[in-house]
Amino acid sequence: MSSTVFDYFTNIRNAFTSIFHGLAVTFSYLFRKPTTIQYPDRIDTPVQQMLPPLFRGILEVDVGLCIGCNLCEKTCPLGCLRTAVVRDPETNQRYITRFDVDISKCMVCGLCSENCPTGAVRHSTEFEASTANMVNLVIRYVKPGERIPVHKPVKGEESPGLPQNEPIARAHKEWDEPPPVDPDQVRGRVRWKNDGAPEEEQSS
Amino acid sequence: MKELFFELSQSWQLEPLEMTGAIALWLVVVSAIVLSFVATFAGVTSWVERRVAGRMMSRIGPNRVGPQGFLQWMADGLKCFLKEDVIPNEVDKPLFRFAPYLVFTGTFAAFAALPFGYGIVAADLNIGIFYVTAITALVVIGILMAGWSSNNKWSLLGGVRSAAQIVSYEIPSGLAILSVVVLAGTLNLQAIIAGQGGFPWDWYIFNNPFTLMAFFIFFASILAEGNRTPFDLPEAESELVAGYLTEYSGMRFVFFFFGEWANLWVMSALITTLFLGGWQIPGVADLAGVVAGVQGAAKTLWILLSVVVFFAKTLVLVFVVIWIRWTLPRLRVDQLMVMCWKYFVPFGFLCMMGSALFVLIAQSPLGETVHLVVRLALTGLGGLVLLLFVRRTILNVRELQDPFYFKVLE
Amino acid sequence: MTQLILEDQHGETTMVNMGPQHPSTHGVINLRLLLQGEVIAKIDPIVGFLHRSIEKLGEMTPYPGFLPYTDRVDYLSAMFGNQVYCMAVEELLGVEVPRRAEYLRVIACELNRIISHLIAVGTMAMDLGAFTPFLHAIRERETVNDFMERICGARINYSYMRIGGVPRDLEPGLDKDILKFLDRFEKFIPEFNRLITGNEIFVRRLIDLAVIPAADAISCGLSGPNLRSSGVDYDLRRDRPYSAYPEFEFRVVTGEGYRGQTGDCYARYWVRIDEMLESAKIVRQALLGLPEGDVKAKVPRKITPPKGEVYSAVESSRGEMGCYLVSDGGEQPLRVRFRTGSFTAMTVLPKIVPGLMVADLTAFFGSLDVVAPEIDR
Repeated sequence: MSSTVFDYFTNIRNAFTSIFHGLAVTFSYLFRKPTTIQYPDRIDTPVQQMLPPLFRGILEVDVGLCIGCNLCEKTCPLGCLRTAVVRDPETNQRYITRFDVDISKCMVCGLCSENCPTGAVRHSTEFEASTANMVNLVIRYVKPGERIPVHKPVKGEESPGLPQNEPIARAHKEWDEPPPVDPDQVRGRVRWKNDGAPEEEQSS
Repeated sequence: MKELFFELSQSWQLEPLEMTGAIALWLVVVSAIVLSFVATFAGVTSWVERRVAGRMMSRIGPNRVGPQGFLQWMADGLKCFLKEDVIPNEVDKPLFRFAPYLVFTGTFAAFAALPFGYGIVAADLNIGIFYVTAITALVVIGILMAGWSSNNKWSLLGGVRSAAQIVSYEIPSGLAILSVVVLAGTLNLQAIIAGQGGFPWDWYIFNNPFTLMAFFIFFASILAEGNRTPFDLPEAESELVAGYLTEYSGMRFVFFFFGEWANLWVMSALITTLFLGGWQIPGVADLAGVVAGVQGAAKTLWILLSVVVFFAKTLVLVFVVIWIRWTLPRLRVDQLMVMCWKYFVPFGFLCMMGSALFVLIAQSPLGETVHLVVRLALTGLGGLVLLLFVRRTILNVRELQDPFYFKVLE
Repeated sequence: MTQLILEDQHGETTMVNMGPQHPSTHGVINLRLLLQGEVIAKIDPIVGFLHRSIEKLGEMTPYPGFLPYTDRVDYLSAMFGNQVYCMAVEELLGVEVPRRAEYLRVIACELNRIISHLIAVGTMAMDLGAFTPFLHAIRERETVNDFMERICGARINYSYMRIGGVPRDLEPGLDKDILKFLDRFEKFIPEFNRLITGNEIFVRRLIDLAVIPAADAISCGLSGPNLRSSGVDYDLRRDRPYSAYPEFEFRVVTGEGYRGQTGDCYARYWVRIDEMLESAKIVRQALLGLPEGDVKAKVPRKITPPKGEVYSAVESSRGEMGCYLVSDGGEQPLRVRFRTGSFTAMTVLPKIVPGLMVADLTAFFGSLDVVAPEIDR
């Protein structure tokens, strides 16, 4: 009985002291700076510049560095990259005729950029990719009809495209002119259709 | 207000029939004034609550619509009024439509008897406090109606919870009120304020240990009656989705919230009136005498000063209620009842008997001195707790090595 | 399991659907309740709303390519999904992970445990109606998320680990920043305790509520903090050592009935609070004793493990997370299976919940710290 009476008054005391401490904590937060960052408009520097250099944003491709090895397309678990390389039969020079990245499929895992031998495929710190149309999320790094000769790395010379801890330029934003996409189902996964470029060297 | 009206009407020299019309007009004017005050207060408080809650959570809160987000409440209200009035197919339509108005009426009618300053009251009832407690109980009917008519199981649970809660907590709050009424000897709210003084040791809260206890009981009970956290079980969103509000949207939803924020004023004003000295200005012993002694602008100024004092006290209490809401978790239904019947009701009785006893002691020969000592000691205790609190707050900021940051607006 | 509650013989009970759209089911779960007043007579958890066939995807994807999917098994502690999968493949391949990589994995995992437990205790307070503690927990979590971003480049779905190690070393200066944060964090927890853990209403809501006895906890297959709070001293980090854990000193927190009984909701809450501090200790030790060396072992680009099967398990923040892999010698696994703590936690519901109130159910469900995607996978 005595313990019950004791408990009764202990409860009252505990209620008062714990509520006192709780109120003191919440009140003290009125005298601290709020941690909110008022993204996107009321900040001093754009968020893209505040992100660490390792941040995995939208894929960015420097086609000038691409050696046409097709490794990125092979490692991507979702098949969101699509490349095509043609060989000029006269000069034996290989050209990249297509380098498309479908951002809507990409889950920014970083497997392609790690496997790229020259650092042509890398992540930018750009992440604002919202658009009204999914088709706009396909970024075409080689314009239709354009032919870019493959990069030939010089032995012993460090490739210029390997900055690991430096901020990198933003991705090319080409949301406005969406290229037509014709997806095809291959083995249950969406792969892009081979659009029959002349003298296709590689096909997956 | 009534005096003002009769003074005016005498100068107009009206016929009896015209007098009736004038009274009716006067009633409409007064209720329009009070309604616009309630509407503005409810809106602005919703913004204040969100800003305060934001800062307590280390956020900012709404700050985009208008300067510092001050017009957020208008934007929200307008949005809700423009929304489609959704009435689900299976609801009991007349009751469903009627319930929000009943809830709002219950709260709004209480403003009729609430004082705003010396002599500023819509209807100076001689049973003012009784009227307020009785009329605010109307809210429970509206909530129960909303819960039942929504034809939703969560709504019904919320409505039933609310009924049990509000009816139970009428008792401790009534007992706490009685312990003040015993001291004041009247049910008139203006007279209760007149019985107190301007300084804290003249207030009824520090009058004796029992009224101090009654203050806490009353505060908790009135929070429970107003469905505020930690007693917001009827609309506990993590348990009952939104309780009795689940099926409501648009304008009717706003009416419920209108009632809730208006109720914030009702509870704060009641506590100010009963325990914190109401409109009594510190240093002025007899405001009624002072006001009667002056004329014209000086009179208005004194009344205005009393209004300012009353508003300041009430707004501080509104802040405290908001602050408690964003600090404490919610009780369970059975714990709520245990708290009411095992803690508040017995202590409420103790308070009533104790303050009655104290009235007798104060009347005894040595009583005057004893009473003064008790009042000063209790005020000192209150001050000590406040000091400890300030110290604790400063320590809290220092402990995490956060810099002090005093900017109110962000 | 999915025997639906439809019968209502006496007309005294109400069938209520709690979820799939309910604020406190922590995701998309449907709990069918048979209520008598506010008391629950019967509960029927119905899962599967978030099934994304991750196991099937694993059978269709090459070994390295499946790694990003393991993030999505339990999005609040993605690092453990990474680790358990990498450990399974490494065991199949017979690859030795460099010591520095193991340390980096431990640092990332323990930071992830802190993140996950902050969410757990925060949402538990929110289920009981207190919003501020949740936001305070989220604020500390954001700081750790920033570190995660600097470690691996992402905030939620880390995809940090690779088969054979981790892809890159720590950023210079990051270790000092993390140590500075840990100092702050160890002061934040007492403040958090003052705000909510010690609050009398909070304590009263949780103590002696939904007590899971040790025998029940074991027979239902509970693991992790839920099992330890029932008083069972079992932690994979210590009892089935993996990675670099044997090199660190830490205490396995078990529930002791801090204010009520062992195995009640408060014990489950308190174990998580204590585990955060233990994790902070491990991170500190790992950062101070970080060995030099490579961060990734040499693995072929095309991974074709020999025929065989393997089961690896890690102590995730929601209990034992296991990965069972069967290889037929090809580029893709023949079978992938994940064992998760949340799924087994759901099995304890029908045993414990009847007799509780609706308000208690939210508290109990919050204390189990269930993540819906982890249940369904």
